[in-house]
Amino acid sequence: MNNIFKFSIYIFLTLSFAWLAFVVGATNQYGDLEPTAESLEEDGSIPPDAELFPKSMAGIAQLGAKEYLSLGCATCHTQQVRSEEAGFDVERGWGKRPSVPRDYILQEEVLLGHNRVGPDLANVGMREYSSEWLHKHLFMPQSVVEGSICQPSPFLYEENKEASVDSIEITNGETNIFIKPSLRANRIVAYLESLHQNYELPEIAFSDILEEDQSVEIASAVAEPETIATAFPSWLSEQMESGKEIYMKVGAGGGLCYTCHQINGQGIPGAFPPLTGSDWVLGDKERLIKLSIHGLMGEIEVNGEKYNGVMAGFGIQAGGPPLNDQQIADVLTYIRNDWGNSASAISPEEVASVRNSVKDRAPNQMWTAAELQSNSSPD
Amino acid sequence: MKKNPEQEIDQSARFAFSFFVASAGLWLLAAALLAYIAAAKLTDPLFLSSLEFFTYGKIKVSQANAFVYGWGGNSIFAVSLWIIARLSQSLVRGSIFLIFAGAIWNLSITFGLLGILDGHMLGHELLEMPKQVWPALLVSYLIIAFIIFVVFRSRKQKVTIAPQWFIIAALIWFPCLFLFGWSGLELNPGRGTLQSILSIWFGQNVIWLWLTPVALGCAYYIIPSVLNRPIDKYYLAVFGFWCIAGLAPWSVVHHLEGGPVPMWVPAIGTVMSIAMVFPIAVASTNFHSTAFQDVSKVWNYLPLRFVIFGTLSYTISSYIGVIFSLPAVAKLTQFSIINEFHFNQRVYGFFSMIIFGIVYHILPQITGREIGTAAKNFHFWTSALGVFALLLAYLVGGLTHGVLGQQPSLAWATVIESVKPYFLITEYAFLILGFSQLVFVLNLWKVLVPNPFASSDRQANLKTA
Repeated sequence: MNNIFKFSIYIFLTLSFAWLAFVVGATNQYGDLEPTAESLEEDGSIPPDAELFPKSMAGIAQLGAKEYLSLGCATCHTQQVRSEEAGFDVERGWGKRPSVPRDYILQEEVLLGHNRVGPDLANVGMREYSSEWLHKHLFMPQSVVEGSICQPSPFLYEENKEASVDSIEITNGETNIFIKPSLRANRIVAYLESLHQNYELPEIAFSDILEEDQSVEIASAVAEPETIATAFPSWLSEQMESGKEIYMKVGAGGGLCYTCHQINGQGIPGAFPPLTGSDWVLGDKERLIKLSIHGLMGEIEVNGEKYNGVMAGFGIQAGGPPLNDQQIADVLTYIRNDWGNSASAISPEEVASVRNSVKDRAPNQMWTAAELQSNSSPD
Repeated sequence: MKKNPEQEIDQSARFAFSFFVASAGLWLLAAALLAYIAAAKLTDPLFLSSLEFFTYGKIKVSQANAFVYGWGGNSIFAVSLWIIARLSQSLVRGSIFLIFAGAIWNLSITFGLLGILDGHMLGHELLEMPKQVWPALLVSYLIIAFIIFVVFRSRKQKVTIAPQWFIIAALIWFPCLFLFGWSGLELNPGRGTLQSILSIWFGQNVIWLWLTPVALGCAYYIIPSVLNRPIDKYYLAVFGFWCIAGLAPWSVVHHLEGGPVPMWVPAIGTVMSIAMVFPIAVASTNFHSTAFQDVSKVWNYLPLRFVIFGTLSYTISSYIGVIFSLPAVAKLTQFSIINEFHFNQRVYGFFSMIIFGIVYHILPQITGREIGTAAKNFHFWTSALGVFALLLAYLVGGLTHGVLGQQPSLAWATVIESVKPYFLITEYAFLILGFSQLVFVLNLWKVLVPNPFASSDRQANLKTA
């Protein structure tokens, strides 16, 4: 103890042993985890054509993670479902299964957190909140959850007395106000909606606790969330969920739809046509699929208003890789059934058959409204 | 008149000590203000909510950083400089470099906190300040630590004693911790939850291996020197020291119990934190069996009263901490506001109380001026009351929060509803603590920076001192 050099080296070693064990030990054990399929072949290989999990977040959600971090949301919200021995997180309905290391390998910001003044958010994207509900919660949590102590973020929204196309109505006592989400608010909501561990992995299956005891009510902080999916049969709600994701998503596997048609499907008057109540969306399926694949340009009349613009197709050549038949079916089904729209679902087979019928059309040759009208009217 | 050697040492350390203590005081007030805002925002979410600068998360995080690096860092520099100089019986040289480095340290923290409030927070525990400020913090820290080392190396007495081990070890641990944490979090970031392991390892160890040993070192110094009797069972101290050195770096990861990390990580943490009862028992025996041989002196000499409050708080709450690391208990309390209890008992109830005591002990020796007894007593009783109310609210509130949160049938809003009264108590506790610290810092500044227009006999006093 009297030789400062020896003393320094000893206390340095006590510290570095622990660090080495945790860093080298843990890296060795799971530093090279990769996305994998929900279940593996018997020989441990990934089945061909299997979907791999976890999926990487859409670009807009990754930006949302940075906003989430910078506002300090992680101070009160964890993003981890503890194992069944270590707590009642699964029973509380905070996830279908405990979180495992593999769930986090593609996240740039891993925000496990260690305080739950607010609920756990590891699976918030799986709960049945609409993005409108999330926006309301972000703007003024107390307007949707009574007694919440979550901090409002009004600085992310533009407040108006009057309704505008993409605004959200909030009832505040007697008066109603309308809020318009900023880009940052949209990023955060996209991030929250992307948070889910809704897949099984070879190392962890969905917990059977909830099925054993159906009487346990899944309690969450929600008074009565507006749902997009509960009214539909499960196959349809799956399609709706995936369609909504594509609608909101930027980058690979995304349709980028909301940037023009807006989150509420209302479009922007004079610039982008609405999807709600539009005959182009709710009417002839073939016409809708065609313009989705190749895109549409020129003058078009929607709900009595004239628009003149260009919509890139997303079936053949989009900014990123084109959507496949299933994805197109999902997103079209979604726009036909949200925001008060209600029309039959579109199946991947229907998309495939239309795609086949127009396979001779040049990829860059967009449809015009007149062309589509004349094509469909004889039928 | 020839000065005695101790006065010469005090004289050489005076400039730097005053600088560090004065800036520590300002940071303490900043942290108290931030703590109050954060507590008020929990009781009324609409308070200051329209300003993006003041989201709860940012305030909470900057409060912790202001407290640990601003108040903690500066006071660590001040007291370790003085204690090491006194124990080594050697003069402090290079005060100007100390001040220079200290100024950089304080400026970096200021920029760091503004960076957090402006939305450039990093996601690692107690490493939240933006990455641009860390090189400056590290360099200024190394300058200060190097100068303290030089003082220590030139000591007259080659045999070292407990306060020196703890303080020197803390000075070495912090930069090592930082480099280890930084390498795995920013330079070559680990994938996925590896980051979370390192983040919690760093954040908890800053408390365990930086603030804690310095406060223990102060207690090991002041108790025997004031009571003028040796530490009882001093031969255990070396065992206690190596237990902390060997166990603390392993024990902190028990906070990850049940999380998405390899199972052995929290398991080791739990085992090691149970083993922490040994160093806690050693420190407790050393301090209290010495102090309780002369209770009236402890009670009547206010600095010592502060220190013993701190060591008692350390003992009690560390044992509570061990209990809460047991998996069966952690199941209930792991993510509850018990975490606030742990943090606040460690930085307020233990570290700050001991630092208050030691500063009150050093100030008259170094400046020749004394803070009024009434002010000191006011500070002690309000601090004690505030800390007690705060910790009790977090403890009972945390148990309520944890136990109710584990009832799956109870809606989350109901759980939070039943914790709200405790948030209100903490708001008042932070208000009391803020007042108490305001009195402390005002008096501190009055003693450090005397009014040049003061009456002439006080000036004369100053000269003779």
